[in-house]
Amino acid sequence: MIPEELRRPRAAPETEKRQFEDEALETLWEFQEQGRQATLEQLQSELQLQSEVKDGPSVLAMQTDGLVTISDGKVDFTEAGRLRARDITRRHRLAERLFADILALPEYEVDACRFEHAISPEVEEAICTFLGHPPTCPHNRPIPRGKCCRLYARKVTPLVASLADSQVGEEFKVVFLRTPMIDRLAGIGLVAGAEVRLIQKKPSYVLKVDETTIAVDEEVAKGIFVKKI
Amino acid sequence: MPGRTGTSGKGGVSARDGARDGGTQAKGPLKRIVLIGNPNVGKSVIFGFLTGRYVTVSNYPGTTVEVSSGNMSLGARRYIVVDTPGVNNLLPMSEDERVTRDILLSDRPELVVQVGDMKNLKRTLSITIQLAEMGLPVVLDLNMEDEAMDSGIRVDKQALAGMLGVPVLGTVAPERRGLKELTAAISAGGSVPRALSVNYRAAEEYIEKIASFIPRTHISGRSIALMVLAGDKSLAGWLKANLEEGAIEAIEAVRDECALKLATPPEAAGEGGYHKIGQYISEARLRKVSEITAAVLRKVPHKENRLVSILGKSMIHPLWGFPFLLMVLFGLYEFVGVLGAGTFVDFLERVIFGRYLNPMFIKVFGFVPVPFIRDMFVGRYGVITMALSYSIAIVLPITSTFFIAFSILEDSGYLPRLAIMTNRFFKMMGLSGKAVLPMVLGLGCGTMAVMTTRILESRRDRLIAIFLLSLAVPCSAQLGVILGMLSSLSMKAVSIWLLCVVGIMLVAGRLAASILPGERSDFFIEIPPLRKPAFQNVALKTANRVVWYLKEAVPLFILGTLVLFGLDKLNLLGLIERAASPVVVGVLGLPRGTAEAFIVGFLRRDYGAAGLFAMHRAGLLTDVQSLVSIVTITLFVPCLASFFIIIKEKGMGIAVAMMAIITPAAIIVGGILNWALRYFRVSV
Repeated sequence: MIPEELRRPRAAPETEKRQFEDEALETLWEFQEQGRQATLEQLQSELQLQSEVKDGPSVLAMQTDGLVTISDGKVDFTEAGRLRARDITRRHRLAERLFADILALPEYEVDACRFEHAISPEVEEAICTFLGHPPTCPHNRPIPRGKCCRLYARKVTPLVASLADSQVGEEFKVVFLRTPMIDRLAGIGLVAGAEVRLIQKKPSYVLKVDETTIAVDEEVAKGIFVKKI
Repeated sequence: MPGRTGTSGKGGVSARDGARDGGTQAKGPLKRIVLIGNPNVGKSVIFGFLTGRYVTVSNYPGTTVEVSSGNMSLGARRYIVVDTPGVNNLLPMSEDERVTRDILLSDRPELVVQVGDMKNLKRTLSITIQLAEMGLPVVLDLNMEDEAMDSGIRVDKQALAGMLGVPVLGTVAPERRGLKELTAAISAGGSVPRALSVNYRAAEEYIEKIASFIPRTHISGRSIALMVLAGDKSLAGWLKANLEEGAIEAIEAVRDECALKLATPPEAAGEGGYHKIGQYISEARLRKVSEITAAVLRKVPHKENRLVSILGKSMIHPLWGFPFLLMVLFGLYEFVGVLGAGTFVDFLERVIFGRYLNPMFIKVFGFVPVPFIRDMFVGRYGVITMALSYSIAIVLPITSTFFIAFSILEDSGYLPRLAIMTNRFFKMMGLSGKAVLPMVLGLGCGTMAVMTTRILESRRDRLIAIFLLSLAVPCSAQLGVILGMLSSLSMKAVSIWLLCVVGIMLVAGRLAASILPGERSDFFIEIPPLRKPAFQNVALKTANRVVWYLKEAVPLFILGTLVLFGLDKLNLLGLIERAASPVVVGVLGLPRGTAEAFIVGFLRRDYGAAGLFAMHRAGLLTDVQSLVSIVTITLFVPCLASFFIIIKEKGMGIAVAMMAIITPAAIIVGGILNWALRYFRVSV
């Protein structure tokens, strides 16, 4: 076991401040997303729950930096603050999608929290494109749209999607599989590179591979990632 | 036509017996031929042709769960032919697949006849590759040539034979087309498809390393190395028996190394890492197979059969599928419940037995001076007046009509489609839709159905399925008798019965699922093409099942009757009835005499049901009593035969535990229903 303090070296004050701001903005974003107004106390208590920053950067300092406004004890974004909150939320939720769906990391939430601070806009865009501009995070909360999403807005079909998110009646090429049924599927010729046709989704998923028709349930279909031909 | 040596009582040799056979007979003149192939490609039809033995043939994957063997002679040579459960991969995923792989490992086949579906050349060839790796001589038979033709698929058999280096034939087994050529090819002997080797690139060095540990047998070390690498856990026993000490650890180290190399990122090695090697191997095989297929298979335009495609779509349609299912059920009810249990039973029971046979026998036995003997045959609990008239006049017509209807359903390919429709329902019971197959087969015969649970992947699923089969799935004979009784009650009674049985199934399944450890395995089932049931197979299958019923059930009916007769003569029957009356009369609210039906119900549920049926027809039961009694007998203990098969499959402990749960459960449900019907003054 690596001791906690060695694994995560204490961040430089500059980075620490930035990370605190990110967390605060993200929390405020979530408040507003749920249609709630955040009071200063609520926000502070939420933040102390999430990260153990007690002294140092604060919400009040963020007001001075022009990220948030505080009136009557209620906190709101400034225009600049809103944009940054949107960005960081987007990065966080994209990271969750990537970790949960593609890499299947069990603790994707914790990992996503660390990852969100580290990625550049280019990486963010690449991830978004790779994931096919997903509309929601694994908790089903909306991912704020980015520039790349708007460019692809007309092409709603993602590049790589699971069969569960694909259109009935279409033909696909299998990109990769992530399901315990992987060996069974291989047995009937459904491996990466195979072509598959989605016949129906309800009451069970029915797929056709060459001349073989199989039925699977949604759990399995979710683990078959395909690209439209 | 090959010469046949018939079946000579060698029927139903189990896998292990078969293997032992092979050991002793390898020196003799008998040579062993094993039929191998994907599921539902027609191995059993070909087996029937080669050996003259009938084994059940249906249109769904997993019909054959037991190994059968039979004799065949070609010219002067004699062979043992072994039919095996279908496999998609010689890396077994379920018990039935494992049986097949183990036959290849331990049976030293002289020749493997691989049967494949011509439409599915890729899947066929990925098995051929594995046979090639084992170093076994193969004759490749591409069956269902007619279906391939209809779907516009043309395979150049000569070119394929050239590429593989083995004889390749095309057949249409049910019509016996091409089978003569097949027997000719068998007697000429096959050859090892050496040309069919796959380069596993990055895995090659590990394959070689592992193969160097494997002792020389008739199966190549390379193929065993590949199985080990792909993470085949079922091989552990074989390895232990055949390897020197220390070798297993060394092999595992090589496998871990390989997992580490092929898995990216390396942390993903371990459980998932082996999956990765398995995938790597499958993908390499598929590349090879695709290469060959591209060279020998071409597609030509073809016309689709409109009717078949409309039928196929509506059977599994999210909306129309359910009315379709209702139609099928209604048809079944009309055919079995009304025609079988009504018209035919009336005729046999009232006319044949009631008017002719029983009076005749009573007259004949009237000359017997010993009243004991007279009563034994034609008395109240007489072998003729009770056992035979129940088994022949009541149950036989019902079972026969059910078997006909069921064979048609089996051969059409509807049953796996039913799994698509009912997957959700089975999910609620903690089972996957694949369990539909054994459950529906349970409507035919519980004993066969318990054996079919082998197609389920996990032990947990098999246990739940067997439990539900024993508890809530009535077998054909019982179902028919119940349908017969229900047909004279109201629609309301039918619904209450159905609700009780389905409700109990749900509750019991849920409970079992939450008690038994393990996860529900995901749903995966292959859907065969729709086919028009062939009259010949339906007739043959029905006849086989009827004969089987007569052989199995009638002796038990007679035994049960003799038990009742003996109890009656010893004045014990009254005693038992009195002892049981707190339950039968008190809890269930039934006349005391129904205890008899439950006693014989321990032998066969249908016999118990037949007893109730007779009482109902004689007007001894009110409508409420009829309903309560059939719900109870439906849930009642499984028959003796399925009890034995549960012991065989799962052991004495589990069988007894199931009985101990099921008997009180049936009585409690019956009691609650009785109470509820009376309390709420429901008239049925």
